[in-house]
Amino acid sequence: MNDRRTAFVLITPLMAALALAFLLPLGLTLWRAVANPEFRDAMPRAAHLLRAWDGTGLPPEPVFAALATELPGAQAAQTLGAVTRRLNEERSGMRSLLLATARAAPGMEAPYAAGFATLDPAWADPATWRFLRRAASPMTAAWLLRAVDLAQDDAGRVIAAEALFRPMLLRTLSIAATVTLICLLLGYPLAWHLTRMRPEHARIVRALILVPFWSSILVRSAAWIALLQRDGAVNAALVGSGLLDAPAQLLFTRGAVLLAMVQVLLPFMVLPLAAVMGRIEPRLMLAATGLGAGPVALFLRVFLPLSLPGVAAGCAIVFTVAAGFYVTPALIGGARDQMVGSFVVFFTNQTINWGMAAALSALLLALVGLVALLSRNALRRIAA
Amino acid sequence: MRLLLVLLLTLPCLARAQSELTVVGFGGGFQDAARRALFEPWSRATGIPVRDDSYNGEMARIYAMTRTRDVVWDVVMVEAPELARGCEDGIFQRMDWSVVDRTKFAPSTTSECGAGAVSWGAALFWDTTRTARAPKGFAELWDTERFPGKRALRWGAKMTLEVALLADGVPRDQVYAVLATREGQDRAFRKLDAIRDDLVFWRSGAQPMQLVNGGEATYALGYTGRVVQANAQAPGRYAMDWGTLLWSVDSWAVVAGSPHAAEGFRFIQGITELEPLKRLAAIWPASPAHRAFAEDAAIRAANPDAVASHAAQGLFLDTRFWVEKGEDLEKRFAAWAQR
Repeated sequence: MNDRRTAFVLITPLMAALALAFLLPLGLTLWRAVANPEFRDAMPRAAHLLRAWDGTGLPPEPVFAALATELPGAQAAQTLGAVTRRLNEERSGMRSLLLATARAAPGMEAPYAAGFATLDPAWADPATWRFLRRAASPMTAAWLLRAVDLAQDDAGRVIAAEALFRPMLLRTLSIAATVTLICLLLGYPLAWHLTRMRPEHARIVRALILVPFWSSILVRSAAWIALLQRDGAVNAALVGSGLLDAPAQLLFTRGAVLLAMVQVLLPFMVLPLAAVMGRIEPRLMLAATGLGAGPVALFLRVFLPLSLPGVAAGCAIVFTVAAGFYVTPALIGGARDQMVGSFVVFFTNQTINWGMAAALSALLLALVGLVALLSRNALRRIAA
Repeated sequence: MRLLLVLLLTLPCLARAQSELTVVGFGGGFQDAARRALFEPWSRATGIPVRDDSYNGEMARIYAMTRTRDVVWDVVMVEAPELARGCEDGIFQRMDWSVVDRTKFAPSTTSECGAGAVSWGAALFWDTTRTARAPKGFAELWDTERFPGKRALRWGAKMTLEVALLADGVPRDQVYAVLATREGQDRAFRKLDAIRDDLVFWRSGAQPMQLVNGGEATYALGYTGRVVQANAQAPGRYAMDWGTLLWSVDSWAVVAGSPHAAEGFRFIQGITELEPLKRLAAIWPASPAHRAFAEDAAIRAANPDAVASHAAQGLFLDTRFWVEKGEDLEKRFAAWAQR
């Protein structure tokens, strides 16, 4: 009992760090994907009245009055920008409508409903108000829907939008899976060889495997550009040796992306594999040979099953990291090789649409989790 | 544990209990030159220490700073759309025009929250040792028979759609009016479709020169400053068509909630005066947003490679347009690219 308490005390800092550094940001990200605070924070009274309205026809006069006072207020407080961009993203024209109304509202008098309608006929359209009512709700499905190329129409029904993120997500997963497979095919023999070397040699090879980590990913990608371009070393070698008549298009291809990603990610496959293989009891092999197993049977029935935990760990790490790549495909991939991470960065840093960035991240996380879960189950079935 | 937490939370505050001004720009050779010509002389004259740092233009950091009220950057250099968005969102302070003299800036280089720092531009260039064929403007760039080879454009809708419409014969002053309509956007994408297989796209400013040097692209849209720099090392090697100039202006802005906002405005006023800017232009091919660089014939003659000297024949990238339509068009561009 006392031991347990000591153990608990000892792991408390770790658990706290885990919660702070991992679970909290993850939770906040997931929350941001559905949070809808812009309208409510900037114009709380109008939002409250809109939510209280039943949504038929035009809203009552107090809603107009609340907007007439809160729109100019929000503009003065520099909070209107976020609202207009948030609403414009879902329904184009909202930005200019709200900005024009914010400018005109201080000069209006009651009844505001009439003044609004004269300013812009959009204010006499019930669809505008139904949309605003939805925008004033505390949560939104807009970003998650958009992440799978769906949208909501005026009545709130789900409709199809232009195909963008669905193909991109599928491509991201397919690139990640291909990279994982290549890493496994290259890394397995390498890891096996590593466990059979003399320890002092193994140390050197291990260091060589880790070399790619010493430079930044940007530098490594730039190096690949220098190697693969039309006047690069690879083309020069191919043409010089007579294998090719003219330089080939190597840069900006899917092959270049896979090559560079495998180079970066191979250590993530080799290290867990080597760790697991190094722990396989050599006497088991001897016993199997003694019982008459040939080299193929020895590998298939003894070594391979015992190394599967390493395969699972290596594949999980490589797949997860590969699915989040975007710099390498952006620099050396073609127009059709872009991965979803590039849009997460675009929404985070350029348009400051953190809801959309969070929705894409959440979707990617869910898909990667699903793939990991499915492959773990498949692996278990093979092992059994 | 609690003690540790308290320590962790207070440490950053303790570390910056100092009175120096933190200025953040995009780094590189420009910032080294600016430090020598602008920051250090101002610091010596006023006695206010200035520390400069660099970033990649990622706005998320500034948003996070202002939201957590832990503002460690005082003055930042920002691109025009980020400035406009940030100003609407209140992450930048409104410029104090009683401290900063607005009249000295060139037209369209000041706004509610920003004072123009330097203009930058992109134009079509190629390597004269590789090709003697020079397309005249974007219209001829689309003639892949007469001008074979890949064309490198910037990845994304911004700049690329303008180039497509200019190539399709839309006059400069009507580009954004056309691009604002769905038909105009369709027209731009159709134009890109026409030479789709001959286009490659770059992401970072260093890439266009790399692509042209490596033979990967024959013609490229690249940042003029970098082409001028490359020509300084290999005189006359790269030809650039100033008639294809697309340009914009980077600005100085003061981060909202900065504890040194007053000094920040004084700093901006000080480093946008003509004399320090002339010193800057003497050591770096920058194009300051000062009126004199656009209007004074002697200064223009002394800076033949400055964007300001060619701005009249270029297309000014419309900040309002890209703030309003940027997200939509960038998504449409990505959807077009992956088809």
